[in-house]
Amino acid sequence: MGLDRPGVLGAGTPAFLTTKLDFVVNWARRNSLWPMPFGTACCAIEMMASAASNYDLARFGMERMSFSPRQADVLICAGRVPYKLAPVLRRIWDQMMQPKWCISMGACASSGGVFDVYSMVQGIDTIVPVDVYIPGCPPRPEALIYGLMMVQEKIRGESLTRHAELRAEEPSAAGRPRADEQEVVDLTGPFGNSTQQNRLSGSVETSAVGRPADRLP
Amino acid sequence: MTAGRSSEANGSSSANGFDFGAVAKGPVSSSSASRTPSESASGVPRNPSVSALRGQFGDAVLRSQVNAGDQDVVYVEPERILDVLRWLRETPEEHYDHLADVTAVDYGGGHPLEVVYQLWSIPHRRALRLKCELPLPSLEIDSATAIWTGADWLEREVYDMFGVRFRGHPNLRRILMPDNYAEGHPLRKDFPLRGRFSRAEQTRRALSQEPEDYYAPGELANRTPQTADDTEGGAA
Repeated sequence: MGLDRPGVLGAGTPAFLTTKLDFVVNWARRNSLWPMPFGTACCAIEMMASAASNYDLARFGMERMSFSPRQADVLICAGRVPYKLAPVLRRIWDQMMQPKWCISMGACASSGGVFDVYSMVQGIDTIVPVDVYIPGCPPRPEALIYGLMMVQEKIRGESLTRHAELRAEEPSAAGRPRADEQEVVDLTGPFGNSTQQNRLSGSVETSAVGRPADRLP
Repeated sequence: MTAGRSSEANGSSSANGFDFGAVAKGPVSSSSASRTPSESASGVPRNPSVSALRGQFGDAVLRSQVNAGDQDVVYVEPERILDVLRWLRETPEEHYDHLADVTAVDYGGGHPLEVVYQLWSIPHRRALRLKCELPLPSLEIDSATAIWTGADWLEREVYDMFGVRFRGHPNLRRILMPDNYAEGHPLRKDFPLRGRFSRAEQTRRALSQEPEDYYAPGELANRTPQTADDTEGGAA
């Protein structure tokens, strides 16, 4: 009897169960998140370590790195992104199928990091929409896994009835910055050590060794 | 303020043996006449190419010095650089067959910009550094691509970062910065750290370019777009 009617939870248990469609869809989505690695710097080394056997991202459903954006679910931007690479990042994001999520891994991807210079994107959220920011320079593999699990938590709260709203994408926005001009200015203001600098700093003459007294005798 | 800082720098130079004032002043010429011709101050034998260059080119060799103990640096008249480089490569006693690097230095403060050629002779195992001083208003020098093909990208980088125009270069366009970059040459001392445009404008310009723009036109000419028919034909 147990053989011809195997139950869901073993012999003798019901052969069917009822649940919510949202729960099943989100369960499937969040447990098969294939990352699209966009590794440009040392963060990518930590991302590789996360995928290797010691930390083993596959335990959480990131079964493999998807090196094609067509089969990827979550874009992991690991490392600094120069302006020359910005259109590439945007194009990869545009090529990914819905539903898709984005992780900004590390200080440089999230804010430009120490590279507050002429050539560097000051946070990829000016280019693509970001779901989870992971702090660190670079973040440890545990941090990346935690960030991916935060994406999983985010998926858990999504609903198919709000699909059109959550996954809305303006076709004309492809290949364009996500943030408008004012938002870019707000996001990229000086911070941290760079408050000593301003847009005029290039015209100020500084000596080659500014503070010799700092050197140890 | 500046004077006070420099005197402070000079004061501490005796304490730890480092002359900060000299760093701020930029490059200092040291005449080779003050030393014996065959030996540097540290006792390392001088590169014989230096005296050979003086004998061959005379006035075109402006001055020479030794950096970091054993690195001979020869300042050459910019108009004669191509003759000097070709002679150094083709004379059997010199035979500098490897152009290790072409780069430039901007010392700021109105100093002339220096173009640097780092040469290495594989058979003689000798390194020689040539420098040409270019006045800031006219940053032009002959291209070394006719002598070393490998100078191509190195000179493109110098053009991109410093704005030095190389006469006779086959493909003098930017190599590191995007092709549509309009803010100038980033490694010049008068270039502001964050660039000249606002971040919003930089972002807008960055995304207005096509990644295919980085290919040379010749590389794209042979490219035929893949169509669905091609895929089906390949599968069959």
